[in-house]
Amino acid sequence: MDQRVSSYMLDVPETDLRKSTSKRFGSTLSSWVDRHFAVLTVMPTLTVTILVFGLPLVLSLMLSVQGWSAQQSLFGGRFVGFANYIDLFSDPQFTQALWLTIAYTVITVFLELAIGLGVALLLNKDVPFVKAFRTALIVPMMITPIVASMCWKLLLDPNYGIVDYFIGSPILWLGDPTLARISVGFVNVWQNAPYVAILLLAGLRSLPSEPIEAAAIDGATRFQIFRHVTFPLLTPYIVVALLLRTIFEFRTFDNVWVMTGGGPADATKLLSVYTFMTSFFAFDMSLGAAASWIMLLIVFVFCVLFVAASRRKENAL
Amino acid sequence: MSVATSRRKRLIGISLTYFGLIMLLVVFIGPLLWVLGLSLKTRAQIFVTPPVLVWTPTFEHYARVLTQADFIASFMNSLTVTSASVALSLVIGVPASYVFARFRFFGSGAMFYTLLLMRMLPPVAILLPIFILFTRLGLANSRIGLIIAYTTFSLPLIVWIMRDFFEGLPKELEEAAYIDGASRMTTFLRIVLPLARPGIVTASILCLLLAWNDFIFAAILTNNATRTLPVLMATYAGAETGTDWGSMTASGVLVVIPVIIFSLMVQRHLVAGLSAGSVK
Repeated sequence: MDQRVSSYMLDVPETDLRKSTSKRFGSTLSSWVDRHFAVLTVMPTLTVTILVFGLPLVLSLMLSVQGWSAQQSLFGGRFVGFANYIDLFSDPQFTQALWLTIAYTVITVFLELAIGLGVALLLNKDVPFVKAFRTALIVPMMITPIVASMCWKLLLDPNYGIVDYFIGSPILWLGDPTLARISVGFVNVWQNAPYVAILLLAGLRSLPSEPIEAAAIDGATRFQIFRHVTFPLLTPYIVVALLLRTIFEFRTFDNVWVMTGGGPADATKLLSVYTFMTSFFAFDMSLGAAASWIMLLIVFVFCVLFVAASRRKENAL
Repeated sequence: MSVATSRRKRLIGISLTYFGLIMLLVVFIGPLLWVLGLSLKTRAQIFVTPPVLVWTPTFEHYARVLTQADFIASFMNSLTVTSASVALSLVIGVPASYVFARFRFFGSGAMFYTLLLMRMLPPVAILLPIFILFTRLGLANSRIGLIIAYTTFSLPLIVWIMRDFFEGLPKELEEAAYIDGASRMTTFLRIVLPLARPGIVTASILCLLLAWNDFIFAAILTNNATRTLPVLMATYAGAETGTDWGSMTASGVLVVIPVIIFSLMVQRHLVAGLSAGSVK
């Protein structure tokens, strides 16, 4: 670039020198920017992604096959192969957390979809003021999960909570293993079923009206229309909602942490809680990294399914 | 079927619909209103059985919370970290989304899916190595570290929404600008960005929610001086809830009120954004 600018300068009369070089310099810069526009604009995203996402992933994979403690230098760990993973699967706490997380995810996602679908059908009715109800429903899911869990902790309080007042007897919702599991699951369903409802409502509003009207003219009952027309048309949306919610329920942490801290007696110690406590309370970094990678691999499978499902839906529509 | 019975049937249908809708409010909004009510009661009223249903609201808990140094400090931390990370991630992410929408280049598909993966993978599973790296780099316990983390994990949201948005914009305007001799940068800044405003609003709300509501990153990457509101709230709500329900509920309301007001203001965009990527 320097060469081109200087050779150009030779041809220009003395008086115009400053003006034209700066113009020329500006235009070469902007044409350089233009030629590399795509690379230049993607570069910051790429850099940040590699440094704050890629690099940590590689580091944690490395730690998961090493014996490493925080006192050592980053690369000072000793290679131990799959020992950490073997340790994990022989730890009953971990296998319990894994099964609990799977059961928890299946149940909460099923409830969220069932309730979400019901709510979406209700909100899809064109009655006066239905828009106000749609608006009201987005409030629970906007709320900071930590605050929502704190609210429910107070509502479920055995001494002064309103729930036990209505029931009429002091129930220790968070003190009993089974009830604690139900309570944390309930709070998550309460907060996220509206999200499913909004996804499915958007789906319902985008369905073609002709098949439904045709079925109505042919004398199908409301239930028949739903069962044989609306539901099949809605299925792609349901599949996407199902996979999205599975991915997000699997990571459940905030409400468990605030409401039970994983207790009582590890009854609500989900995989996320196990990983968190192993990494930051027991400070067993290598074991924590291995647990992290097992979580990553499980979610990765669902991500692949999600991409496949959303692509199929796009093609189908 | 006579006209009378079909009208009666319709009336029953409509009343059932409203019954259902009101039940929805009771279940999903009722608990929140009850907590809001608790925050406006005196200490004695909170713990009385049967619960008081009609009372003169008191703002004593709000007055106390708003003069607490802890709460104010966390509020400022949350505000700083959230606004900085939203601004940064927009500056970094919006141009990239435009390129994803308009250009196909080597690795662009792979990058897009990597960003998707970033959104999907559980934060708890990526937190440990980030904590280790940030500690070594001196970024742990600082607001800057948290801003970097939120900015990075907001990028997928922005790219996800903005790419779709840019793809929906007509190419003709940009082509006309090129013919008139405008550079790509000028075209992007002067022609494309103004048209993309609704998309940018949607993307920024989602990033704002991510940063404002996050607990797990802040719990690990901050200390008592730099902690954000969710971390402070978690300490209030920790193992034993204690008896200061007034302060707890009042601060909870103060944490969520800004988000709720903001969300309702931009509700239309928000719903579009929440279903982006899953409903087209």
